[in-house]
Amino acid sequence: MSTGDLRAPGPGPRPRQRQDEDLDGLVRHVARGDESAFEAVYDQLSRPVYGLIRKVLRDPAQSEEVTQEVLLEVWRTASRFDPAKGSAMAWVMTIAHRRAIDRVRSVNAQALRERKAGSVLAGSAEEVAEAVETRLDAERVRRCLDSLTELQRESIGLAYYGGYTYQQVAGVLDAALGTIKTRIRDGLIRLRDCMGVSW
Amino acid sequence: MRFFREELHTLSGVYVLDALDGAERDRFTRHLHRCQPCANEVRGLRETATRLAMAVAMSPPAHLRERVLAAAASTRQLPPDTEQLRARRFLRSRRFPSSITAREGRFPRLAAGLAAAAAAVAIVLGVTQAVTQRELGHARAQAQAVEAVLSAPDARLLTRATSDGGRATVVVSQSRHALVLTTSGLPSLPAAKVYEVWFLAPGRTQRAGLLPSPTAGRTAPLVAHGLAAGDRIGVTVEPAGGTSRPTTTPILVMSLPT
Repeated sequence: MSTGDLRAPGPGPRPRQRQDEDLDGLVRHVARGDESAFEAVYDQLSRPVYGLIRKVLRDPAQSEEVTQEVLLEVWRTASRFDPAKGSAMAWVMTIAHRRAIDRVRSVNAQALRERKAGSVLAGSAEEVAEAVETRLDAERVRRCLDSLTELQRESIGLAYYGGYTYQQVAGVLDAALGTIKTRIRDGLIRLRDCMGVSW
Repeated sequence: MRFFREELHTLSGVYVLDALDGAERDRFTRHLHRCQPCANEVRGLRETATRLAMAVAMSPPAHLRERVLAAAASTRQLPPDTEQLRARRFLRSRRFPSSITAREGRFPRLAAGLAAAAAAVAIVLGVTQAVTQRELGHARAQAQAVEAVLSAPDARLLTRATSDGGRATVVVSQSRHALVLTTSGLPSLPAAKVYEVWFLAPGRTQRAGLLPSPTAGRTAPLVAHGLAAGDRIGVTVEPAGGTSRPTTTPILVMSLPT
């Protein structure tokens, strides 16, 4: 796989930026209780983890809480990371997204989400494009997003960044369930191929 | 059934985006254990979603760093899952495909398929990896028997759907009078029942072995000896311990290349 594309994100020079292979190695050190490796992991992961959670939850205080939970989960369960199943970055971001989603779907967050729903809906496509512009690999990601149909892009944005179930996505986009399922899958496959992800 | 499975397969995208809830999510998670192509697809799509996540990276408040590091220092870590580690180590120790790729020049078309089959078998062995030393020894002997069939110059790979929604993969060698059978997605049976494998020929039915009980939806490779040219292979559900002749309608009958 092209590990170079999975670098810790961030505009401008980042002296602590390491390649993803290093992250895999760091996580193995963390599994042995190495606290300084965990510091390095924090420095690599805090921005993508917080950014994703903030994107989904919107609320800064909740996002901070969940970010802390996720990073502690990485510390606690580092020994269970299995490189055969994917990169360390994908492992962590999967945990982060699930935790954010759990929070979104919990009863307490319901009201908050309702309030934010309008803005997610209005902005999803533009937000994606806007956000990727701050990225080192902005050009490629944006070109790839551009290659999707509008329905694909919106569905993926609502599900991933909005934390919607696919039934909810189908509801707000007024489309059939089967259509949303296949559009999301087709869209992700197209993104995967466009981005040259080789897993 | 066919429609049902294709339907399930299309859930990979919404699964990766966590847009799948409750029973449907559980069903797809179970499906992943027995559908290797789906698991591969999920892995690739997950890496893709990761790039979308990184596209929205944002610095958290500076004070979070100290808080997280302090919390980590006072949080006990989980020990490794020893079973998982042993399975990984065992997989690394196996080299199924080497003897096959060495022969690539002689039957290039087969080599790729066989390497895939060997990898699949290695995975099955890894997944069903034994917990005790004795079982480990047994698994190794089993692996050698498997390898003997896989490395035969006339080895052929075939795969068929079973009538109950599973899939059988067979590597057969007429010159070795043997085959290796693995399955995925067969419905699990009550303790009093077992899947029995048969060599079938006009006027002759011969027991070929019992499938081990599945782990994560897959059965470890069964090596069946005593295959004769023209035999077909069949699988039926029988009382535990097996019977001397089939008593139920086969879930699989498959012709073999001669």
